[in-house]
Amino acid sequence: MKELFPAKQVMGFVFSLILTAVALLVYFTDLSFGVGMTILLVTAFIQAFLQLVVFMHAGESKDGKSIYTTIFYGVIIALITVFGTLLILLWDM
Amino acid sequence: MKLDHTQPLEYSTDQNQLNILGFWIFLGAEIMLFATLFTAYFTLEGRTGSGPTPADIFEITPVLIETFVLLTSSFTIGLGVHAMRLGRKNAMLTFFGITLLLGLGFLGVEIYEFTHYYHVGATYQTSAFTAALLTTLGTHGAHVTLGLFWGLFIILQVKKRGLTPENANKSFIFSLYWHFLDVVWIFIFSFIYLKGMMM
Repeated sequence: MKELFPAKQVMGFVFSLILTAVALLVYFTDLSFGVGMTILLVTAFIQAFLQLVVFMHAGESKDGKSIYTTIFYGVIIALITVFGTLLILLWDM
Repeated sequence: MKLDHTQPLEYSTDQNQLNILGFWIFLGAEIMLFATLFTAYFTLEGRTGSGPTPADIFEITPVLIETFVLLTSSFTIGLGVHAMRLGRKNAMLTFFGITLLLGLGFLGVEIYEFTHYYHVGATYQTSAFTAALLTTLGTHGAHVTLGLFWGLFIILQVKKRGLTPENANKSFIFSLYWHFLDVVWIFIFSFIYLKGMMM
């Protein structure tokens, strides 16, 4: 039975739960908007990265490099799309 | 078919390795799909017109349940893939089954949530905010729904034909899809719900 629950994945799950709990501080305590958003950005990206490495085994095959390149390229274009749009349409810069 | 026994079954043929790489490239495109939805949402979330604001309609309890259920399902499918690598077919099928049940639970809560929005007067046509919100949540929910059927078919195939290189490959790719949906949910949870309730 024990071999079905590898330590790495159990730790990954526990760490995800902790990160979710930290993100919830934003709701349950009275933080400023800036501090709240900083906490959310940090916890969300760490948790996404955790999924990628621990659960999705992104780097383990010989295609690991191509996989990371594809995903980071996708993330960079996504961030440019989101923040580029906000910069022009919402923040008037 | 050349089998490489130094690799887990799902990577064991050249075709299998290409399938997995190809699916990652598809996930790159999925990242962009959700990025454009988030872009529209962030741009329009303040445009509530005479309709409700995010803080008016978001409820913490269903969001917490959805988050916990989806996070757990991502863990159980990870255990499923681990069991598959050990060659433990029944354990793998159990974990995949639990994953799908949790997915179904998630979908049930999301459907409740949508009816709640309807009852408080936040429909697709209420405001730019509700349209962007329901499109983003709906796209994620549609992905989960598709995943439930896909996962069911994977379970049936493994049950019927056993852990062949093809089936192991399909199962692994399905697990990638499921984990990806959890990643998208983390962003929805953080930047739609928690951000909305903070304001």
